[in-house]
Parts: sequence; C-alpha cells; structure tokens
Amino acid sequence: MTFGTMLSTMAGGMLKTVLLFVLTLVGSLPLGMLVVFLKKSKFKPIAWITDIYIAIMRGTPLMLQLLVWYFGPYYLFGMNIRGYKFPALLIGFIMNYAAYFAEIYRSGIDSMPVGQYEAAEILGYTKFQTFMRIILPQVIKRILPSVTNEVITLVKDTSLASALAYQEVFSLAKQISASQTSFMPFVIAGIFYFVANYLVAWIMNRIEKSMQYYK
Amino acid sequence: MSVYLKKEDVNTTGSVENGNPADKVVLKMSNIQKRFDNLEVLKAINLTVKHGEVVSIIGPSGSGKSTLLRCATFLEKIDSGEIIYLDKKAAITSHSGKVFYTNKADMKEIKQYFGLVFQQFNLFPHHSVLKNVMGAPVNVLKRDKAEVEKEARVLLDKMGLADKADQYPCNLSGGQQQRVAIARALAMKPEVLFFDEPTSALDPELTIEVLKIIRQLAEEKMTMVIVTHEMSFAANVSNRVIFMDGGVIVEEGNPKDVFGNPQMERTKQFLKSYKE
Amino acid sequence: MKKFLAIGLTVLTLAMLLSGCTAKKDGKVFKHGFDLDYPPYSYIDDNGEVGGFDVELCKAVCEYNGWTYEAVPFNWDAKDAELNAGNCDCIWSGFTRNGREDDYTWSMSYSDNTQMIMVPDGSDITTLADLAGKAVGVQTATSAYDLLQDSEEGQGELAATFSSLEIYDTYTIAFNDLQAGGIDAIAIDITSGNYLMSSTPGYHFLDEALGSEQYAIGFRKDDTELCEQVNTALQALVDNGTYDAIGQKYPEIYEFLCLKPATAE
Repeated sequence: MTFGTMLSTMAGGMLKTVLLFVLTLVGSLPLGMLVVFLKKSKFKPIAWITDIYIAIMRGTPLMLQLLVWYFGPYYLFGMNIRGYKFPALLIGFIMNYAAYFAEIYRSGIDSMPVGQYEAAEILGYTKFQTFMRIILPQVIKRILPSVTNEVITLVKDTSLASALAYQEVFSLAKQISASQTSFMPFVIAGIFYFVANYLVAWIMNRIEKSMQYYK
Repeated sequence: MSVYLKKEDVNTTGSVENGNPADKVVLKMSNIQKRFDNLEVLKAINLTVKHGEVVSIIGPSGSGKSTLLRCATFLEKIDSGEIIYLDKKAAITSHSGKVFYTNKADMKEIKQYFGLVFQQFNLFPHHSVLKNVMGAPVNVLKRDKAEVEKEARVLLDKMGLADKADQYPCNLSGGQQQRVAIARALAMKPEVLFFDEPTSALDPELTIEVLKIIRQLAEEKMTMVIVTHEMSFAANVSNRVIFMDGGVIVEEGNPKDVFGNPQMERTKQFLKSYKE
Repeated sequence: MKKFLAIGLTVLTLAMLLSGCTAKKDGKVFKHGFDLDYPPYSYIDDNGEVGGFDVELCKAVCEYNGWTYEAVPFNWDAKDAELNAGNCDCIWSGFTRNGREDDYTWSMSYSDNTQMIMVPDGSDITTLADLAGKAVGVQTATSAYDLLQDSEEGQGELAATFSSLEIYDTYTIAFNDLQAGGIDAIAIDITSGNYLMSSTPGYHFLDEALGSEQYAIGFRKDDTELCEQVNTALQALVDNGTYDAIGQKYPEIYEFLCLKPATAE
C-alpha cells in the first residue's frame, strides 16, 4: 500500500468520523435542552425519570450503551435489526451526549441571577420570551467553555463507534496498521484528530470572542 | 407632554388634563397578609395610591416594605387580601380564605399598569442601553420599532444618557445603570412606578444623580411608590410618607408631620437612629 | 501532505533508532511477545497464569537452548512497535506468515490455520458463491480479515460480492450480531470458530474453506541468527516428541500442527 493510498483510505474514514460527529452534535445539542426542561418539570415522575436517564448515561461506558442500543431491540423484543447499525450508533451517541449537555445547560441556567427573571416578568415578558430573549443568550455565553470541552471529547469518542463495526478513522488505522505492519496509520489518525480538534477549538474560540462585547 | 404619561387611548374617563385625575385611585391594596414559612412579614396592610401621588415607604430592614412592593408587583403571592389596579381586581380572597389571582389575559393588561425599579438595576447585560429600553415595548406590546426607538431616545436624553444608547450596561456606572433601568420602566408608560431602594447599591455621588431624576418625575406628576432609606429625599419629594415596622404600617401622613412631628414612639426612635 | 510525511518519518526513525539501541541478544533471556487473548495459542489460564500452546512451546525452546523465558504480553495492535522497540524478541502468538513474508524473519511454520465461513443452521448459504449479496462479519486485524482484504492472493474478489463486510473489534460482538440477525455469516479462523460454536449450538461451517495459512514465529528482519537458533531447537523438540506431547494438550488445534515427528508418520 502506497502512502497516498493509505492517506486517501484514511481520509475516507475521517469523513465517516466527521459525519458521526456532526450528526451527534445536531441531535444532542437541542435534545440536551429538552432534557433540562424535563428535569425541571414540575411533574415529579418526569423529573425523576430524567434524573435516572442522566445518571445511566453518565455512569456507564458509552461503548456498552452503543451495544445495548443496537442489540436491545433484538434481545428484548426479537426485532429484526438488519440495517440498524448506523441508526443505533446515532441514537447511542446523541442520547449520551444530550445527557452531558443537559447537565452543562442546567448549571448555566441555575447560575443566572433571579433578578433577570424578575425584571423580565415585571416588563411583561412571557415565560417563553424570557427564556429565549433574556436567559438563553446569557446562558450560552456562560457555558461555552464547558461545551467546547465536551465537543472536543466527542471528536475523540467517535472512535468508540468501531464497537458497532463502523469504519471510522481510528478503527481503519488499527486495521491498516495490522495489515501493513506499519505505525504510520496511527500517526496519520493522530494528525487527523488533532486538526479536527484544532478546528473545533478555533471555531468555539471565535464564538466566545463574538460574545465578549458584554460582561 | 411627557412620554411616560399613561396611555390616553385606554383611559375611558377622559384625558389627564380634563378630568380630575387626583381622585383616581391607581392602586388599592387591602388587608394584605404575607408569610414566609412561620414568619409573618405583612400583617393586614392597607395601601391606596392615587394618581399623581408620590408615596415614600420608610422603615428598618425586615419591616416588610420591600415585600409589600413585591406583593404589589406580583413577584410574591399574597396569602390573603385584595389588590386592585384602577378598576381591575388583580387578586381577591374568597370567604374560605383562598387567594385568587385574575386570569392570564387580565393579568397581562394589569402588569402594564406598573413598572418596578430594582435595587440591583437588573438590566439585561447582553442588550445595549437602547435595546434594554426598547425591548419590552417592541416584544411585549408589539409596537412599531421605529416609533419605540424615537421614544426611547427621548427618554434616554431626559435621563442624561443620550450618548450612551449604544453602550452595554457593563460599561456604565451604577448611577447610569439605574437611570437606564428607570428609562426601561418608563418606556412601558406605566400608571405607577415602584422603586425598591433604588439608591441602596450606589455611592453617595451616584445616588444624587438618580434622586435628581426621581424628583424630576415627581414634578411631572408621575405616580410613584418609593421604598427608600434616603430620609431627606423622602421628606422633600413625597406627598405622603409611610413608616412600616414589624409588618404593619405604624404611621402615615404628609412628610412634614411624619418627620417633623411623629406621633408614635416607634417612629420617633427610628427617625432618631437615622439622625445619629 | 508533505508535513504529514515528515512527522510520520520522524516517528518511524525514532522507533528504529530505539530498536537499534535496546535490542539485546546475549542468549540468556528470551523475551516472548504474544497476545494474551488468543486461545488456545496464548491466553490467561484458569489459574490466572499465562498459558497456551505457543507459550508452552516457547518455554520448551528456551529450556532446550538454556535461555531464561520471559513473557511479554502486548496489545495486538502494538505488536510491531513492541518488536521494533526491542521490548520482545519475537511475535509468537498464532501469528500468520502468509502475506507478511517480507516484513519479518520467519521461523519454520509450526501450525496450519484455516479460515472458514460460519452460518446459522438452516441458512440458505451453502457455498462461498452463495455469499453474494450477503452481509458478512469479521474481526479486525485477523487472518480472515486480511484474506478478505487481499484481492491478489486472498479472497478480496469474493468480499466484493458481499452486500457489506462488517468489521468488528471482537468476534464476540460479530457472533452476537450473527445471532441477532444483523449479519448473515462470519469469516473466522477454524479454531476460534470452533471455540464459539462449542458454547452456542445452532451454527456450522461451510464445507468450502475460505483460505488456509501457516502460523510461524516472526523475528526482526536482522535477527536471522536468533531465528536459526529457534529453528534448530524446534526441530529437535519435534524429533524428541516434546512438540507432539504439548500439542496433545490442545485437542482443538492438534490436527493443524504441521510439524509431525518422523516416527509418528
């Protein structure tokens, strides 16, 4: 295998890594917000179930969760799981990351001074307007550093997708390394991850800077 | 004509100039009781505010004066009593002793009758000064943006902040922030404006600039209820002074009487402690 | 692109330098590099100790040559780094020589290995040709995997007819997926396959083998002298019956041991 072939094969794997990464973010960032609302629900059973969900997502290995999401429907309901690997992968990643994002959102929301809610209430803002126009924009600024950390972790966590035979860049690196008796694929994979995370950090930094116009 | 004056179009009793506005009762709170756990904070308080009146509420910390304001503005729910804004009953107590607040639509309208200026300003830090003032008229009243902006700039000019419109609250002094907060409240054209210790978080020199604005509003016959520790200011600017202690109104009257010739022993003690 | 190359080369050069400095060939300690999770060739036995056919054979070779045996279990993915860094003297762990002929100095082959296709009983797949349009699972970095990737000497063309080739981290999960119906068949070493089927009935191999290969011991390319010493010892152990005696302890692979002593034939 020439270096060029190796590089292009692994670039293909990187594409699958990026696909999983992007779809996970698109799903889990908004879902995390929904989880916060459920957790803060006044109907206690919903709040309890949400707490249990978060505890399980944070308390068990993601790889195990992926296996459960994929094999669960078969073992529990005898369902046909043909072709369900990628959806299971997405569900697993999104549900896991939504739990982490929910905790970040919650800490941000809880850190907001009560005066902001009261000022908005006095001015006649509805609860929804208060959240969307007053609270959320400030929460986003507060939680951005924690979100950046989580997003960078996600880039690296995508390698766990190999548990469900997903050919992302790290499992490709392992395979090519074994068949070519070369360490080079790992070097390439490392560089790919580094560049991806550098990009993530750069973008998040830009967003943070764009919010520095107020304290 | 001042921009903060109330909406003539909803005033069915005629315009301010033609009627007899001083007789109009803006707020009537009757027999208000409020309890935090076992602590009785308000014990059957009665408060009536007429149009154009400036009422100062004084008293030691923990006397219940801030809680009274928070009950009037619905930030706290009362445990018993009745709150009426203009002709609208906002809260009533049934014979069984249960408090009922009016429906959402009515409440929305009632909330437009009053504004509140906080001790800690509570400006929205992510909005510019102009947007802080314009936000509620545009988003809550759904008014035309250009028109609101024109009014907002007039208000800011009046507060001496015309050049700060595009600044953010974090770049302003405390006194400037509080004046923005006053402009923000006035932009909703309330019938009555509440102040909850508006200068307690400010240095003395910044206090003066805020008090100047409040005095100016008083001269324009803005209806105001002010919880304050500034005794000379209260004596100077109000039509009526209320001294509260232990959750009850101990004494009330015109400032000359209350400050110059207090009837109750508790009032005398309190005023004496302030002079020292 | 050039940058990637430069960094890669730097890392490789470093690895080579290291291996040059630390490789010890005093003939006293023989460092046996192997995968801890490759039964029955090398694994942790029920007593929690290192065992397996390869381990026992290697110990016998050490004894014969008067060397001290040292076990160096490693992560299979890191085997080349371990070897090149001099942390072990050889890779001896059911290690397939086919396709890697030029990458190591190889000992004589001591065991055959056959790759098979495993399907559920009652499957409509009866020949390799029936695999066209089917989903086939394999574990990454195994001989079966290499075979299906190799279009020239292996079964790469057959793999191209599959609807998909699913590459798993472990055969355990691939086998789970076969049971759950996520895939139609598994390509696997006959020994590993026998091991899986022994615990879960209802599966069988196709009659047709996917391929066959030999296990041998891989040394660093410049270690020909060490390789010769091991070869000599191996031949002697075959001749004196030790090789056969160890093999009989592992019935699941006994029939694949290809160095039969002359007296036994």
